[in-house]
Amino acid sequence: MLALQVLINGILLGGLYGLMALGMSLIWGVMNIVNIAHGALIMLGAYVTFWLFTLWGWDPFVSLPATIALLFVYGYCLQRFLLNLIVRAQLFLTLLITFGVEVVMVNLVRIFWSSDLRQVTPTYAGANFAVGAITIPYVRLWVFVTTAILSVLFLLVLEKTRLGRAIRATSEELRAARLTGIPVAHIYAVTFGLGAALAGAAGGLWGMLFPITPIMGGALTLKSFVVAVLGGLGTMMGAIVGGLVLGLAESFTATYLGPTYPNAISFGLLVLILILRPTGIVGRRA
Amino acid sequence: MRLPSRRVPTVAGALVVAALALAPWGLSPFLVQFLINLFMLAALAESWNIIGGFTGYASFGNVAFFGIGAYTTAVLLTAAAWPFALALPAGGLLAMAFAGLIGMPILRLKGHYFAIATLGVAETMREIVYNLKITGGGTGLTMPITRSPLPFFYLMLAILVAATLVNWWLSASRFGYGLIAIREDEDAAMAMGINTALYKTAAFALSGAFAGLVGGVFAYWITFIDPEGVFRVIVTIQMIIMAVFGGMGTVVGPLLGALVLASVSELLSTQLVSLAELFNGLIVILVVLFMPKGLAEVISKREFSLKKLARNLREYGV
Repeated sequence: MLALQVLINGILLGGLYGLMALGMSLIWGVMNIVNIAHGALIMLGAYVTFWLFTLWGWDPFVSLPATIALLFVYGYCLQRFLLNLIVRAQLFLTLLITFGVEVVMVNLVRIFWSSDLRQVTPTYAGANFAVGAITIPYVRLWVFVTTAILSVLFLLVLEKTRLGRAIRATSEELRAARLTGIPVAHIYAVTFGLGAALAGAAGGLWGMLFPITPIMGGALTLKSFVVAVLGGLGTMMGAIVGGLVLGLAESFTATYLGPTYPNAISFGLLVLILILRPTGIVGRRA
Repeated sequence: MRLPSRRVPTVAGALVVAALALAPWGLSPFLVQFLINLFMLAALAESWNIIGGFTGYASFGNVAFFGIGAYTTAVLLTAAAWPFALALPAGGLLAMAFAGLIGMPILRLKGHYFAIATLGVAETMREIVYNLKITGGGTGLTMPITRSPLPFFYLMLAILVAATLVNWWLSASRFGYGLIAIREDEDAAMAMGINTALYKTAAFALSGAFAGLVGGVFAYWITFIDPEGVFRVIVTIQMIIMAVFGGMGTVVGPLLGALVLASVSELLSTQLVSLAELFNGLIVILVVLFMPKGLAEVISKREFSLKKLARNLREYGV
């Protein structure tokens, strides 16, 4: 029975990891930027939700569209006016500049909003229901359902719309995309905006389950990266599968080995998958 | 190609080192502390330069080696009551061995994968140290206080000189050329008969050894260490900034970078730690945008113009 409970916990958490990794994988796949600031975007999303809840009493689920919209605009501007300037430079430089963005964001938040631990606690935060011997907190379930809805919506945008086609075309061949009249700089910015919006949504949901701090992003960047690589880089389904794998791995090891080494587990999984199956679980060989 | 003369840098370097060695007698205690910090940052930058600058493997986790050195030295000093003269080299050796061992699998990764894997090594190290009993866990370790800062001054200076000399040797030796060949084109280097795996691992271990030694001196100098204070991502960031700011893969670049960064951080950190870190982040962004090849390049080529800048941005932008 315990195993079943652990399994469900893992899946519920894994959905959130999947949502985080979707944004990371999208930005990586389309622009070849490994966004070190991804965790900082999640952190910003968490704070936006927190402030909307604390100052104006907005329910964190209801305020999610606002968080998503804000993070989209922020991400769009970041790419359009900063990252676009060097997006075709060597990998090291793009990696480094997002590193710089991360440090700036984290410390601005620290200066203005302090390093205190904060949490979003709506009235229903502690409520849960039981199915047989298994307890499921309502919040975790709704967070999972929300991540599922957002992931499906995002995949539909990417696969079925004109915008999604433009993004995929740009990702495949920059020059050809430009020749067919796609405004590449704009599409890049929209892509980053979408990635930031997904990160922001994940952050808003994260704040209901765990405490938020300015430095929470570092470990989440690592996790998003691991999940994106686990599932198979650039494949959106891969991010979701990878998220579930990491969620399950953490849930099982926390129960049976103790909760003291969460990062070591992510990292161990990463090294293992890179050695055993470099293309990821879902990915195809290039 | 005529190799640049080595006499001028030798004489200039010896003069600077001699002047620095006499410095504690003429300077206030505050400036001596500042210099120790400067030596530490510069030595870390030179150590990062071996793997990141010469070999082209951008490590984002060198703070792990710094931390291993710091903790090994501290544990041997306190729990095992070793003399510092033995505990410090032990810290350097362990950091070197660890870098070599962990380097064997992760140096097979390239680009982003390597960068994040090293980030993971550092995070994991922090977690392990946090959970071990012998390291004092989250409470940290306290070492006996030494009155005079002079031993730390000379040790940091000696490590810095050694690290700089190693970088200098790399800039004109068979081993160093091998590393540069790996940076420029690893497949071609392998085709030319360079044992790339061995070269890369040796470079990583060498980088780890210096970071470990610096960590060991740092631990005893600061007298108290804990996981959050030692395994700080910002330390790795600083190593990278200094090397990139000054010029990666050059000998003097990391020194220039350290001088600028240490001075600015010193001025700012009197205000607020977050402000100093914020400034570090801004420097990273500006350096990447405006002088991706570093200060050393800008100075030696004497070509820093808005026109060149615009060309860079056109080349890299969309």
